[in-house]
This record gives sequence, structure tokens and C-alpha cells, in this order.
Amino acid sequence: MALKGLDIFKLSPKKNCKECGSPTCMAFCMKVAQGAVSLDKCPYFSEEALATLNSATAPLMKTISVGEHKLGGETVLFRHEKTLVNKNMFAVCLCTDCADKADEKIAEIMKVDYERIGERMYVEFIHVANKQSDPAVYADLVKKAAATGRSLVLECWDVECAKAALAVCGKDVILDGATPDNWEAMSAVATEAGVTLGVWAENISDLYDTVKKLEAAGNKNLVLDVTGKTAKETLANAVLVRRTALKEEDRTFGYPSIVNLARIAKGDDRLQTALAAMFVEKYASIIVMSHMAYAQALPLYGLRQNIYTDPQKPMKVEAKIYPLNGADENSPCALTVDFALTYFLVSGELERSGQPVNLIITDASGMSVLTAWAAGKLSSSTIKKTFEELDIANKIKNRTLIIPGKVAVMKGEIQEKLPDWNVVVGPLEAVQLPKYIKDKEYEAGAKAAEAERAAKAGTVKEEVKELSFEELLQTRVPKIEIVDMGVQYKGHNPEAKTFVTIGERIHCIAPSIRKAMDERDPAPILERAAAQIKAGATYLDVNIGPAEKDGPERMMWAVKLLQENFNNVPLALDTANMKAIEAGIKVYNRTNGKPIVNSADAGSRIGYIDLAAANDAICIALCSADGIAKDNEERMVHCDNMLERGLSLGMSSDDLWFDPLFLVVKGMQDKQMEVLEAIKMFSDKGLKSTGGLSNNSNGAPKDVRPIMDSTLVAMCMMQGLTSAIVNPNDRRLMETIKSCDIFKNHVLYSDSYLDM
Amino acid sequence: MSFVPKTQPYNGKINAVTLGTGDKAIVIGGQNVLPFYTFDAPIENAPKIGVEVSDLASSWEWPALKEFYAGCTTMADYAKKAETIEGCDFICLNFVGADPNGANRSVADCVADAKAVAEVVTKPIVVIGCKNLERDGELLAALAEALAGKNVLFMSAKNENYKTVGASVALASGQKLGAETADDINLAKQLNIMLKSLNVSPESVVMDIGTAAVGYGYEYAASTFDRIRLAALAQGDADLQMPILAAVCNDTWSVKESTASEADEPAWGCMEERAISMEVATAAADLTGGADAVVLRHPESVATIKKFITELV
Repeated sequence: MALKGLDIFKLSPKKNCKECGSPTCMAFCMKVAQGAVSLDKCPYFSEEALATLNSATAPLMKTISVGEHKLGGETVLFRHEKTLVNKNMFAVCLCTDCADKADEKIAEIMKVDYERIGERMYVEFIHVANKQSDPAVYADLVKKAAATGRSLVLECWDVECAKAALAVCGKDVILDGATPDNWEAMSAVATEAGVTLGVWAENISDLYDTVKKLEAAGNKNLVLDVTGKTAKETLANAVLVRRTALKEEDRTFGYPSIVNLARIAKGDDRLQTALAAMFVEKYASIIVMSHMAYAQALPLYGLRQNIYTDPQKPMKVEAKIYPLNGADENSPCALTVDFALTYFLVSGELERSGQPVNLIITDASGMSVLTAWAAGKLSSSTIKKTFEELDIANKIKNRTLIIPGKVAVMKGEIQEKLPDWNVVVGPLEAVQLPKYIKDKEYEAGAKAAEAERAAKAGTVKEEVKELSFEELLQTRVPKIEIVDMGVQYKGHNPEAKTFVTIGERIHCIAPSIRKAMDERDPAPILERAAAQIKAGATYLDVNIGPAEKDGPERMMWAVKLLQENFNNVPLALDTANMKAIEAGIKVYNRTNGKPIVNSADAGSRIGYIDLAAANDAICIALCSADGIAKDNEERMVHCDNMLERGLSLGMSSDDLWFDPLFLVVKGMQDKQMEVLEAIKMFSDKGLKSTGGLSNNSNGAPKDVRPIMDSTLVAMCMMQGLTSAIVNPNDRRLMETIKSCDIFKNHVLYSDSYLDM
Repeated sequence: MSFVPKTQPYNGKINAVTLGTGDKAIVIGGQNVLPFYTFDAPIENAPKIGVEVSDLASSWEWPALKEFYAGCTTMADYAKKAETIEGCDFICLNFVGADPNGANRSVADCVADAKAVAEVVTKPIVVIGCKNLERDGELLAALAEALAGKNVLFMSAKNENYKTVGASVALASGQKLGAETADDINLAKQLNIMLKSLNVSPESVVMDIGTAAVGYGYEYAASTFDRIRLAALAQGDADLQMPILAAVCNDTWSVKESTASEADEPAWGCMEERAISMEVATAAADLTGGADAVVLRHPESVATIKKFITELV
């Protein structure tokens, strides 16, 4: 938990000796609180003060490891606040009262073992309850449980029985045996065996006292058995324990918890399932069940997987062939992305068709179809890669390949990369699939594709030689005509401190621009460029789309078109095709500033930093790897990694513009302040920053967006943001930026500063 | 006593909405604490359970369910039988068959069914449309008029058709109105505000915030529940203080766990038991998140969830 500077100051020596380098103890403590200086720079803190400070910065809830399993360690009460860290475990109980049925029960436990979206689903713990006093009897049962290799919870309040049991099992054990009466002896047994101790009491107040005593005696390797006499009491205990630890910041209850449903579900398996679902959401670390067959496992493990998924990271399914409705090598293929929700939706609808279909899931970083396409994560190349890696051509004989209707534009490229297949564009929405498949609507498309291929087969395939940029420029890039658009770029001093706006309007997601790029039609592009320049954009972003096929010549054309028409306006080059960026830089004129490479990230696009370094360009560095960073700690790790990489390649730190990733208010309202803090952190490090600021207002009404965008830009500039990718035609936003530049003293005030 | 638990009652309160008339009328909502947090404040009004009566119920192929409704042919037959289930607080008429892209049952047929049901049942009625925007505009208006005076809840007005549905169901017929959004707290709030500006009284609105079967992207539903409840109670946001109804039956009976035969999935065991288990787990998760009423299909699910609620309040 973060300490405030004043809290630290209260414990400080208050000598103002300056030995730490800070002018006063107060200043030093403030820096410590921000994490800028380490506490050990001051030799005068008393040991007592250090102990207090250390315990105050310790996590509120401990992470307890039992064998390979981690329990607890949670930092929030609700998953949307951040993320839940360690999923709950499931245990199934054996009992000395029915030891004769143990083998049967163990066999039943072992049956549930399957995979769902990359996660192994099985009963992680076996719970062995002792209800008698003969150590040998209990040890016998524990031995059987231990032989399964699963971790164990030993519910045993008898010290001698516990000792005997621990002698016959391994170390991945929780001895759930401490009570207000026996805690001392039981703690000694657990400590000697080196295992985690479970604590239980009649009521939550006694539980609290017992934990206090155990902690005072030096045992902090604990798990709290919060099972009460009823379901109601158990829920109260589970919630109060977690809330006391995380909200009241009382670490006495900062331990994982066990909920034993076998004790409260009264032999009703369905009620037990309902209660288990509740405790997955409300704070059990281990849920003990009397049974776990598939009927219980399927919903409960599914729920757990959902609840414990990281809200910042998409759920992915494995890229592979999923034969549906008994599909075999002769069944047609349908392709989609690996985003789990897309997979469930599409596979569900295909199953509803009742027809055999091979669903091919291709790697798209867990994004939905359109998002993946726009980000270059779903392209003919990525699809081809999946086909090669999965050896699909040899596994399936049918050659019909249905692609999602939303990416109909990719049909040609895919057909080219997979020349032996008949590529057909499927329906736009998954709900249309059952009819589409049932009525075999794809057959006409497949026949047409086949005919087309046959026609092509007759013609001799031209040998394609890879051309150099110079050759491409000579042969493939049309001559640029200069058109008077009535506006001229007035120049930019790269040394100036004023805010840099990067105009976002030349983007392939706009159909008119996509068409203009495809046809090399200058007019729509020049029009949008002129409007942005007139509105005062510093840079223009040029997004040419994924541009797999002709990226280099496209980018060279776009760069020359814009720079030659508009007095060498500086540009940000934006595409998933790295060759295209390189080509664009080759023809780029640096009079008004270096080119910007848009963009690198700390994951699969880290290579864009190398590209920028090799070409002396500025690089936008997105502080995320796969998915949104979960907090600023992670953002800063990405930031440092990318900074280090850039510097080691000889870049100046001024040429890396860090992007915190602006988040949409609708959906991530509670993360907005975090993004603002991240900007401050970049600024405090002396780094420049930028980002797609208008993303914040995505989905908001048109008349509201300028208000949100301009308010946010003012807040960001206060935090030290140095640039943003924006729509310069938004007058309110541009005027806000100009005004902020006045207040920041970057521009000298005059009455007509808005017109400058 | 060394440990005194801190309680957390809120100033915000969920609206209490009455459905039905006479001594069988029920109230949904009314809490001022998180679901089942009886240690913070007593729960005065327990969540309610509805039993689904579908116009396509004759196609249900789960043996015990079929057996339970043996001999029933009309919706009224089903409704009468459903009403006898222990734990059934209200009857939920699900007109899935009216979907023009599905069975395409006529509005007139649906109205006749609804009227017949209203003749034979005494418990409150909730109506779910077919989810086709255009058809629902017509269907819900006709049903609202036909069931006048019964104080029925109609699911639902959506962002795309709230004006027509809101005007006919709530304003013209004076019935209770559902406001449906899909896992989007901002839109849920916006729709409630729009209904209010249409003069629909906030006290007559019940929300459907979009749910899923457990395992099927349920994380979105779970977080939407959490966030809406916290906004309503902790922030006192009056535009989100409407009670929530979750039509669990619409989420769980079509997923693979509930429909794959034992022949297709031999390891999974009895299909009907799996289907009940999916319904029970999803309903429990919805109730834990903040549903004030759930609609269930199977009599065994109703019995279990009734027990679950009784244990916890």
C-alpha cells in the first residue's frame, strides 16, 4: 500500500542534516513516497520506524504457495478495479467416516481432467477430513489421497492424527487444523513439517484472535477456514475477512480462505453448485466440494475462468482446426480469429447448422475480426502462416475456405497466398451462419473461385522479382502533380516546445481514403491534408492500411504527394508493413522535422524501434505489450524497456515519444486518472509523450466529443503531454491546445494568439 | 471482543417495483446493500424467481422436463403447471416463436395465448419478446393492451426502439417496462435517462443489463453487475437504481453443455443434469452479482435456487 509523504515524515529523524542530498527531511520523505529515492539513503531512521514502514508497504493480502499453486495475493474487491490475481482452487473431500468408499471417490475425482481455452481443468486439491482419533486410520486415508499426486488439505483437529498424516504425504499440503484451543500445538506440527496451517474458529472474532496469536508466535504461513454453520454465515465470514484486509487494511485477515461446502450444502449437489458459483465470485481461495463430476465442473470451471480472466487482456483460444458436427477432411472450412468470444459465437452458430464444418482458428492476438484486420494481426500473411504451421493443406482435402464477411476486402490477397484454395466470402454476422451453411450458399462462391483459378492456371505466371525501392520509385510510383489547394504549410521548428498535433484524418479506415490509396487518386487525400493543415496541424499521420501487397510504393507515393504539395509537411508513417515505412522514409524530406514511425510497442512491434533507429526517425512507443497495461507499474516497465532499446541503438531519448494508450471513457472511466498519472511519470523522466487522445470519447455523441477531447487535452498538457494524435478540424480542441501553450509559457501571448 | 466487523450500509437504495395485483403481487428490488450482504443490513425483500413458459416449449427435449409438462399443449397449460412449482414467484411468457426469422408466429396468436394464460394463472406475469426489434415494437404493444390491468412487466425496450415500446407499454397501457442493454453500464444509464425524459416513471422500470451463461464471456456480465450495483448504492446514482431481471433461461439452454447428447460427450454424463447445473450456476452467479429476479426453465433449478435464496437471506 502506498504511504503518503507525511506518514513517513512522522517517523523520520527530523534532523534536516542534508546527508541524503535533500534540503530537509520533509523533502526527502516526499521523494520516498513518490518512489524517487530509497529509504536507505537516510541512515537515521530508527529500527522501529523502519519496521513500521516496511510492514506498511507490505501487500495487504499475502500470497501463500502450496506446491505449484498460489493462493490469495489479491489487491481489489472487484475484478473491474484492476484484476484478480490467483484463481480459486477446487477441492473434493474424502472423509474417515466413509473411508471404505475412498477408492471409488478418488477415481471419480481423477475423471474430471480437461482443457478449456488453454487452461487445464481438474480438482487441484484433495480434502481429507478426519472425524476419529486413531492416527493410523487417518494416515491410511491420507496416504491414498497423496498417491494421486494432487495437493492436499488435511482437515484434522487432532494433533496426533495430524502428525501421523504429515508423515505419509509431501509438502504441498495445508494442515487445516488450528483452532482457538489447539493452535499452539498444531502450529508447531505444521511448522516442523514445513506446511501451511489452516485456522478455523466458531466465529469470526475468535478466528481473528487466533490469527493474532499465531502471528505473534511467528507463524504467518496461514490459510483461514471461514466456513460457518450456515451458507449465510460463511458468506459473511468470507466477505468480512477479505474486506477487512483490503479495505480496512488490517493484515490480520490478509490471508487466503477456505470454504468447505461439504459442511454446509447438506448433501444437495445442486445447491452446492449454486453456492460454489457464489464463492467463486465472493472471495474463496479454496472451495471444498463433496463431489465434482462434469455436471459440476463444466459450469464452475467456466465461471472461474471468466471471473479470473484479466480484464485488460482478451481471452484467446488455441489456433487450430476445430472439426464441428463430425467434420472430416472432406468438409468445407470456415475461418475466424482466436478471440474467445468470437470463437464461441461462431462455433456455436456453425454447430447449430448441423452440417460438418472445419472451423479454422487463426492467430490474431485475441482481437475481434475487424480490430485484428486494422491492426495488421489478421492478414493474408498471418493466415498463410497458420495454414503452414498447422499443415492444413495436408490435413484437409476439401478446398473451400469461407472467410468472415467483415473482411471481404482480403479475399483477393488470401486467394493469392493460398492459391490451391477456393476462397469464399461468408456472411457479415455469425447469426447468419446456420442458414448459410445449411443451404450451402458457399457453393456458388467456391465454384466461381475455382473457375477463376482454372482460368488463371492457363496463363503463365509472371516471375515476380523483388524490386529495390529505387526501382519501385521509377516504375511504380506515379508522377506527382502539384495542385493548388489554397493553403500552404507554414513550417515547423523541431526545437520548439509547443505542443505537436499529429492530424489523424488520412486513415485507411475511412472508405474514401482507402479507395483513394488503392487507386492512387490524389484528390481525396489532398483535400483532407489541406483541411488539417489549414486548421493548424503540426504533423500529418498517413495510414495506408495493412498494405501487404504494395506497401512500399503506396507509402512512397503518399509521402511524395503530401510533401511536394504542402511545403514538405512533416509526416507520421502509419502501417503494419515495415518495408513500407522504410520506403516512405527513403523519399522523405526532413526540412520541417524528422519522420515519425507510428508505432512500436513493447510486444510484437518492438522492432519498429530498430526501424526508427536505423533511419534516424522519431518513434511512437506504445507502453503495452499484448493488451492494455494493467497498471502504471507495467506501463513504466514497458517504457523503460523501449527507452533502453532505443538508446542502445543510438537514438536520442527525444526521438522516442511514449504513448500511455488513451482509453475510452465508456468502459474504462475508472482508468482515466491512471493514464494522466502515466503522462506525469513520462514527463518527470524528461521524456516526450503522445497518443491517440480522441480515443477517450469514442462512441460519445458528436457534439460532446470536442468538449471531452479538449478538456482531456488540457488536463494532459498540465501533466506534461507533449503531443497528441488528434483531429485538427476540431476547433475547440485546437483552441484549447493553443491556450495551454500560452499558459505553459511556450508561446508569447498576444491578443490574436488564437489566429497564429 | 477484539474484532468488530465494520458494516457498510449505503444511502442509495434499489427501487422496489411491484408486479401483478392482489395478494399474489410481488415486489422486486428494495435493497440498500450488496446482494446477500445481510451482515451489512437486513435484506427486506428476497430476490424472486420466475418460471419460463415458452411458446416453443413443445420442442424441449430434456426427458424430465418433458415428463413434468406431459399433457400440456397450449401456453396456458404450461403456465398452469408452471405455477404449481414450489418456489415460483411469477410466470414468464417467452415469445421466442414470434421472431420473423424463426417460427414467425403472428402477433394475434401470441395475444390469444397471453390472454388464455392470464385467465388461468393468478401469479404475476412477465413477458419477454422475440428480440426482433421491429416485431417486438408491434408485439409488446398488442400484449400490453391485451393484458391491461394485470400490472405486467414487459421485456424490453432497447436503445433502438425505446420510444415506441416505452410509449405503448408504459405510457399508453400503464404496464411495467424492461430496459435492455448489453453489458454496457453507460448505455444502461443513458437508456434509463431517455425513458425518464419520455415520461416513463423510473419506479416502473426494470433493467436487463445483458448476461451470459457461465463460461461464455461471463466476465462482462459479472463486472457490469458489480459496477451498476456499486453506482446505484455507493454513488447513489438514481439513474441506475432500477432492479435487475436476468432471463437466465435464455442464456444457458442453448450452450453445448446443455445440449450435447450423452452419445456425443460420453464423459460428461447425463445431459439434463448438466443443463440444470448450467442454469443453477448461472442463476447463482447473477444473483450474487445483483439480479433481483431470475427466470428459470427447469423445475429442479427453481427448487435449488429457491433453497439458495432462502439459505442466504
